[in-house]
Amino acid sequence: MHMRYTLIIKSENVPGTLYRIAGLLLRKKINIENLYVKRVDQKRHTSHFIIEIFLSPHLMAKLIKQIDRAVEVTHAEYHRTSSQKRFVRSV
Amino acid sequence: MKSLLREGVDTIFGYPGGAIMPVYDALYDYKDSIRHVLVRHEQGAAHAAEGYSWLGDKPGVCMVTSGPGATNLVTGITNAMCDSTPIVCITGQVVTTALGTDAFQEAPIIGIVTPVTKWCYQITNAAEISHIVAKAFHIATSGRKGPVLIDITKDAQLELCEYDDSVQKVALKSRHDPHYQKKLKRAAALLNNAKRPYVLFGHGIALGNAESELAQFIEKGGFPAASTLLGLSSLPKSHPLHMGMLGMHGNYGPNKLTNKADVILAIGMRFDDRVTGKISAYAPQAKIIHVDIDHAELDKVIPTSIAIHADAKEFLTQLLPLIKLRKHNEWLKAFRKLNEEEKTVVADAELHPKSGEISMAEVIRLVSEKTKGKAVIVADVGQHQMVAARYYGFETRNSYITSGGLGTMGFALPASVGAKIAGPQREIVAIIGDGSFQMTLQELGTIMQEKLSIKIIILNNRHLGMVRQWQEMFFEKRYSSVHMENPNFNKIADAYSIPNELIQDRKEIAPALDRMFKAKGSYLLDIMVKKDENVFPIIPNGAAVDEIRLQ
Repeated sequence: MHMRYTLIIKSENVPGTLYRIAGLLLRKKINIENLYVKRVDQKRHTSHFIIEIFLSPHLMAKLIKQIDRAVEVTHAEYHRTSSQKRFVRSV
Repeated sequence: MKSLLREGVDTIFGYPGGAIMPVYDALYDYKDSIRHVLVRHEQGAAHAAEGYSWLGDKPGVCMVTSGPGATNLVTGITNAMCDSTPIVCITGQVVTTALGTDAFQEAPIIGIVTPVTKWCYQITNAAEISHIVAKAFHIATSGRKGPVLIDITKDAQLELCEYDDSVQKVALKSRHDPHYQKKLKRAAALLNNAKRPYVLFGHGIALGNAESELAQFIEKGGFPAASTLLGLSSLPKSHPLHMGMLGMHGNYGPNKLTNKADVILAIGMRFDDRVTGKISAYAPQAKIIHVDIDHAELDKVIPTSIAIHADAKEFLTQLLPLIKLRKHNEWLKAFRKLNEEEKTVVADAELHPKSGEISMAEVIRLVSEKTKGKAVIVADVGQHQMVAARYYGFETRNSYITSGGLGTMGFALPASVGAKIAGPQREIVAIIGDGSFQMTLQELGTIMQEKLSIKIIILNNRHLGMVRQWQEMFFEKRYSSVHMENPNFNKIADAYSIPNELIQDRKEIAPALDRMFKAKGSYLLDIMVKKDENVFPIIPNGAAVDEIRLQ
């Protein structure tokens, strides 16, 4: 069964990172429900992605490892999005 | 150029064009230190770089122009991604101001290759070159290896800059598993107490230079071991514990007994679907220990009892002292009994046919005998690839180069170019089907120009044999677009000044092979083999490993 997940991804702040992550979603035909990107540290050139998707739990565990494998990504984690704490509030 | 020399680059496979001309102009001044191999198609440059990586101790490098030059690399890059082959691709790009304007020979190559590279980057400023080149080589060769691409705009190529030698080492994130030592001990305990332990190994052994560690480990524990297609030559085939090949066209024992083992250690392999067959029926009885350098491969396909993120060599070195000296004679006998059955039902007849047309298997057997299992076999994709894998008696490491994950027809001829240049002292034998050969046969021109010594064997069945076999077995013999009207390959070889022979009779094979291996330069044998030969055993698509069929 598909669940609503929020992915929190920290990465280098370079062009193409979103494209690489989106490619990993696309090959499993996963739609992005919500997306928020922000530069978080100008000195260290890091940025922060918050992405909301629908996915089954066992695929989520595999997908996060593939996102984490990308050279540009420094950290990736995921959380179940509860109905009270919807995406907009977490942003 | 200096950045490339610093990385030890001595060979580039490439093809010049408008947007890479400034780099080619600079290359003119480095003719003595860098050998440029002019391929005949950019796909060939990528495959040659792969072949070079397989046999060399550094990544192969290919360099092409923008637009079509760059897009022609894509198949090779994807192939390298699937088989974890480190290559560095350099593409020219239109000037920065023209980016995104549909300029002449502009292709968004970063956009195209992002999903099929480990990393890629567009340089628009000459000052970036030194650092980015160092980073590219580091990424290609560290962790799970793979292809990287650097796209350089023409203005960045023309811009002058100070060469910066003080490149900081690129730090990639590393993952430390706090439970590693505990897992190592648990793995050892499982293996030591197992009644029917079984070791599966793959390409990770060769990529991690862990061949001798693997042999010591299985010898100490008395473990039967079987290999994936790409792992084949990481353990001599004659080794008493090498039980054969896994997967769709693998050996009978290794596949059948996957579902009888109580503990399976899988190392440097990724449970590809051609290896597992039906996943739900893959070793459900076994405790599985999976060791891989890529964290994302663990628990991806097969759920494990212990998942260990480690380099094969380090892991085996640390595991060895924890393994108890054991023998599993009864269990080994079970493998040998099944493999003997395969020999009787399948192998004997095709290896030693008395009459009828030539079989692919007897050709491979003779090549194996003549080269004493010490040649490097570069196989293309199809039936001939499976037959070469099954019947060549690999004795030395890094001896079977082929396209595994992507299954790229046309891989072998250009890959053998790269392999010969990286390993000039080794005998390179390209085993190619008539279909595959016609996908990249223009690289005969590269072989001619570079005066390389590559022995080319075309196993010619006038068909796309593997597809034909599937149509026969699974599509009610409705043969759809699998017959090929072929040109005269001997005349083609003549045109490229490559000595050649046409073999149609069984008696001619051995003497022709003798002449071929005696010849100094390249040589081509077009061997007419039986057209409707099938590769057995086979695990039909969607069937379980132990449903493997001998006929």
